[in-house]
Amino acid sequence: MYSIRNKLNFTIIASMVLVMSVAAVFLYVRVAGHVEEIFDSALFDKAHSLISLTELDEEGLEFDFAEEGVMLEFHEHAALQYYQLWEEGVELLIKSPSLGDTDLPMLDTRLGQHQFADLALPDGRSGRLIEINFMPRVEIEGDEEDEDYGQEIPQALPVTMVFARERESLDATLFAIGVTVSGVVLAVLLLSGLLIWRLVGSGLSPLSDLARQVGDIDESNLDARLTHKGEQSIEIAPIEDQLNHLLERLQSAFEREKRFSSNVAHELRTPLAELKTLAEVGAMVPEDPEQLAEFFKDAGDISGQMEKIVATLLELARSEAGLLRSDPEDIDLSRYCDEIWQHSINGQGSGKSLVKNMPDDLVISTDREKLGMILSNLFINAVSYSPDNAEIHICAGIRNDNVVLEVKNASIDLKPEDIVHMKDRFWRKQKAHAGNGHSGLGLTLVDALAKIMHLDVNLKLDNQQTFMVTISGIQPSLH
Amino acid sequence: MKLLLVEDSERLQRSLSTGLQKHGFTVDQAFDGEEALSFIAINQYDAIILDLMLPKIDGLAVLTRLRSDGNDCHVLILSANDQTEDRVHGLDLGADDYLVKPFSFDELVSRLRALNRRRSGEKNPLVEVDGVGIDTVTRQVSFAHTVIALTPHEYRLLEFLAHRRGRVYSHDQLIDQLYDAGSYVTRNAVEAHISSLRKRLKQAGAPKLVETRRGFGYLIE
Repeated sequence: MYSIRNKLNFTIIASMVLVMSVAAVFLYVRVAGHVEEIFDSALFDKAHSLISLTELDEEGLEFDFAEEGVMLEFHEHAALQYYQLWEEGVELLIKSPSLGDTDLPMLDTRLGQHQFADLALPDGRSGRLIEINFMPRVEIEGDEEDEDYGQEIPQALPVTMVFARERESLDATLFAIGVTVSGVVLAVLLLSGLLIWRLVGSGLSPLSDLARQVGDIDESNLDARLTHKGEQSIEIAPIEDQLNHLLERLQSAFEREKRFSSNVAHELRTPLAELKTLAEVGAMVPEDPEQLAEFFKDAGDISGQMEKIVATLLELARSEAGLLRSDPEDIDLSRYCDEIWQHSINGQGSGKSLVKNMPDDLVISTDREKLGMILSNLFINAVSYSPDNAEIHICAGIRNDNVVLEVKNASIDLKPEDIVHMKDRFWRKQKAHAGNGHSGLGLTLVDALAKIMHLDVNLKLDNQQTFMVTISGIQPSLH
Repeated sequence: MKLLLVEDSERLQRSLSTGLQKHGFTVDQAFDGEEALSFIAINQYDAIILDLMLPKIDGLAVLTRLRSDGNDCHVLILSANDQTEDRVHGLDLGADDYLVKPFSFDELVSRLRALNRRRSGEKNPLVEVDGVGIDTVTRQVSFAHTVIALTPHEYRLLEFLAHRRGRVYSHDQLIDQLYDAGSYVTRNAVEAHISSLRKRLKQAGAPKLVETRRGFGYLIE
């Protein structure tokens, strides 16, 4: 795991160091190059001034700059300079008194060319030289009309001149430039680093705040929502929104799970309490066979009720785990409805009757067992929650190439707001045990089974208090 | 000890009533909150066993109504809700005890007896009146180390008056306390039980204990 802030700081600062270093080196090289050019230009000018003071006349080569009292820098001076001239690069013509017994190095420069080089001066200082190979200027005296004009002048030969001077002032200037550039770069980097540290921290503070809020959330406070101070950033807003939606779903799932566990516990605790009390109290009345018989009958009923709850829960668990498959077969719907009604209600319908409205020859193709469980649950619910002597209607017809099945009955106390909860596990209009054996799992199971069969279950309560369950998507038989 | 058992499960009602009556309690039965409030309005109970999930009016609403009406009858909540917050909520609304289903019947009886002792200010389950010992746990009465055999009605009468010494109870009040709402009992039955109780105490050499206040009723001094 890494810190975004540290990584950003490190990356930005490292990038800045790199960029600033390159810029500093570039700047230094440019400035130093320019300063060296100026230095070399001065060297060149001085060398040329020496050349201009070199002339060839009848007496041979003359070096006016070497005359006594002229150009003291070549004699005794705080900043000694040096020169040395050779003819044709071999014969030493003259060298500055400042050289004493030493010589300047000679480069191999072609006529009319010049070149620069660094060297160690005889006095130990570092220096820079320029070597120029030139033809000396010829100085002819007399009248050009004369016959012997210029004939007494010796033949001019190429002269190599090396002029050298210390370069410590140049080095000091370059060092000063280097120090200044480095100092400025370091100062800029330091200040930038601090600014970057603060700005990145400030820029990431909504993220830190978000992380802190998220870190504070656990299963005990899932109702908490992420908030922000001040203006929302467009980068954080979608994260915050998504996390809040996730929290809502998580809270809802936790509550559903908690409610489910609580409901399971409640649904099983009550019959367990009944069984336990029957056993304990039954042991107190061994002399009363009539009472005991009643208790045994109650125990049997309770076991049956618990078995039904457990079986339904297992069926739901299997459907959620994807262990149930739909196995379609042709079913004569009208006959099958009668069969399920007889089997489910078994004369216990308190005078309630099934009214069918469907073609007698309607044959559908679906999973027989699961459709039977669906119809059975719907019939039992309809009978349990309708007024005495009510009619339970079942209608079927073909709509858009699919069979639509509808079970409807008059409802006693349902309200429109109840409809959304009716598929929830253990939802009952009356939370109490009304003694009708309903655990609130029937419609949950109907919905789960319908999903496996790729059917839609729609619940509706109309203005006349008629409750309708519509199952759509049933395939008619192709045969 | 007269109880109102408010429980919507018919089977649990049946078995609990049978067991509680066997333990000497007088039990009235209500199957929903509305019925419970009707019973409470016209009867006085030593304790109410109250389920929470009830049809019509739920248990907590019944409890709230009871306390807001100034009724200080002991309430023992009997519920399948086992979460701490459920218990805290129930006790905070004025319940005296909370028992989670499934429960031990003996524990329920013990808790009811404890509530009864709390009402009478007794902490000892063994009540002694003029040398007559009444063990409210074993429901045995003894005098001078000799057990006095009493019928359930005689025992209930003795225990009721012993827990409320010095207070006079009329025939009707005793009928109300000793019999459930469905029983048809006349004044003569109470007199017969009193007479029989006195006779059994006398046979054991014990004091008479139950005094008559003519025109008012009976008491144990």
